[in-house]
Amino acid sequence: MKLAFVVQRYGLDINGGAELHCRWVAEHLKKFCDIEVLTTRAFDYVTWKDHFPQGEESINGIRVKRFSVNRPRNPERFGKIQDLIVDHEHKEIDELRWIEEEGPLSSSLIHHIKEHESDYDYFIFFSYRYYHSYWGIQTVPHKSILVPTAEHDAVIHLKIFKELFRKPLAFVFNSVEERKMIQALSQNENVMGDVVGVGTVVPKEFKTEEFRKKHQIPGPYVIYVGRIDENKGCDELFDFFLRFKKESDTDVKLVLVGNTKLKIPSHLDIIYLGFTSEEEKFSALNGAEFLIMPSFFESLSMVTLEAWAMEKPVLANARCRVLKGQCLRSNAGLFYENFGEFSLAFHLLLFSERLRKILGANGLQYFNQNYTWDVIEKKYLSLLDRLQQRTA
Amino acid sequence: MNKKMDKKDGQFDPETIRIDYDHLDVADIMDQIKKKTDAQRMDDFPVLVSEEDVLPDSSLNASEFEENGPGSSKAKKILLKLMRPFSPIIKLLVLPVHQELRETIQTLDRTNKRLDLLSDYLNGALDEVKTNLGQFNSETNKRVDLAFEDLTRAKEYAKLLHNLSHNIVVEMTKLKIEEENLKIRIRILEKDFEHLKSREKALESRMS
Repeated sequence: MKLAFVVQRYGLDINGGAELHCRWVAEHLKKFCDIEVLTTRAFDYVTWKDHFPQGEESINGIRVKRFSVNRPRNPERFGKIQDLIVDHEHKEIDELRWIEEEGPLSSSLIHHIKEHESDYDYFIFFSYRYYHSYWGIQTVPHKSILVPTAEHDAVIHLKIFKELFRKPLAFVFNSVEERKMIQALSQNENVMGDVVGVGTVVPKEFKTEEFRKKHQIPGPYVIYVGRIDENKGCDELFDFFLRFKKESDTDVKLVLVGNTKLKIPSHLDIIYLGFTSEEEKFSALNGAEFLIMPSFFESLSMVTLEAWAMEKPVLANARCRVLKGQCLRSNAGLFYENFGEFSLAFHLLLFSERLRKILGANGLQYFNQNYTWDVIEKKYLSLLDRLQQRTA
Repeated sequence: MNKKMDKKDGQFDPETIRIDYDHLDVADIMDQIKKKTDAQRMDDFPVLVSEEDVLPDSSLNASEFEENGPGSSKAKKILLKLMRPFSPIIKLLVLPVHQELRETIQTLDRTNKRLDLLSDYLNGALDEVKTNLGQFNSETNKRVDLAFEDLTRAKEYAKLLHNLSHNIVVEMTKLKIEEENLKIRIRILEKDFEHLKSREKALESRMS
């Protein structure tokens, strides 16, 4: 079976959620199928400017075909049209203009899909909101599988997506909540789809003591891993954490790992490490009492799965339906909607080692049942088998 | 780990959350947390709007009411007496609105806090901009002053050079005139000399 993975960017240095998701799935399915990645030459997700050389290359044993973008994205023009379609009355043509501006606008990629449709059994499109998925699915709907990686943001309500979600042959969802949301928006219950997600591998050994010494964190700490951004709920996290510190007499610290777009409050108990290596990230996570995931928009949250794989409980933002759902299904995390709930849940997790242990064990069990690569591979293969049986 | 939590006024007590560790259920823990925070919010609210502000207090007797305000009248007393049996129903009817009010006030409170944070952040940013602008301004002023000094100096030099040139021209003109005068005097002296020579010759011839 020959599969084409179609994604906006692809490369070893590209760490965006959907792109990494695509690469990992491709690398794990290559032992079962002939896989080719169709992508653009872009590296920068803001402009989509051509960066990689055109043509073919092999990355970790996967054949990657890159196509040029017609023109880089103009953030100013994109901002204007995004404002129009999100906040104002508009027509469908505006939404189509938006998808063109959203990019990466690569007509050669779409042309290739059209020309070589018969070379592939299925096309797996990653991220519904980009040009390649929208026009790719329109080009080969009967061979399309969409991995939407959708969040509950404003653009998902666009009319063009309502129609798009009815077109593919099948869906691979990241979570039950994502499936519910997409089905509620487009009434596409007749389209086949499984909740699969993505697996992860956690190292067996950690250098936690080394990490503590390096950053001079001898005491207890909680951790946030990810982009430090308002959309990720980090400003609220700082507010809640500092209020909690003020009201309680604890020496707990908040460790932040990831690139920041926010001004981090200067406080002795908030330690910002910036972007770290994977090894250091896992060492930091291993030493933490629990992970805080304050994000409002997540389609899966890989770091939450990593925390569970390491038997660490999670304190999540309940306003993100996916995170709340995952916590309830796994029985491995608490969640909050306001400061009162944050404070109580934080207190329970911080001071009850027994609770942390049980939640952590539940997390590991949930991870093993749903997110090891064996499970993920089986789910993909089962979906592909069913599709083949249906078309046979 | 320092694990004491201050029991300040209006603070939650996590000890009251019952956890069945043998059959841990996150949903149950979250229900308890929710109930506790909701109850806490209800307790906090009377600071802003108390039930007493909305409903007549049935525990107060008529004399207390009389003492409470000069406006209390007999009719008021009768009305309160009449209303007393209906107090639970009134409370029931009023509470949902009350609840909404509480939530609205909490939302407003949260918004205010966010606005305060934003305002602090903006003020900080504004101060930073002001400091930077001040520094830039003083540096620019210094540079302008220096440039102005250079310019004034150059202007003085130019003036001096102009005067010097003028003086040189005057002096050279004077020297030229002097030279002409001297030349004329030389010519006169030459003529005198020639005249004397011819006179000398004439005298010599007469003597001989």
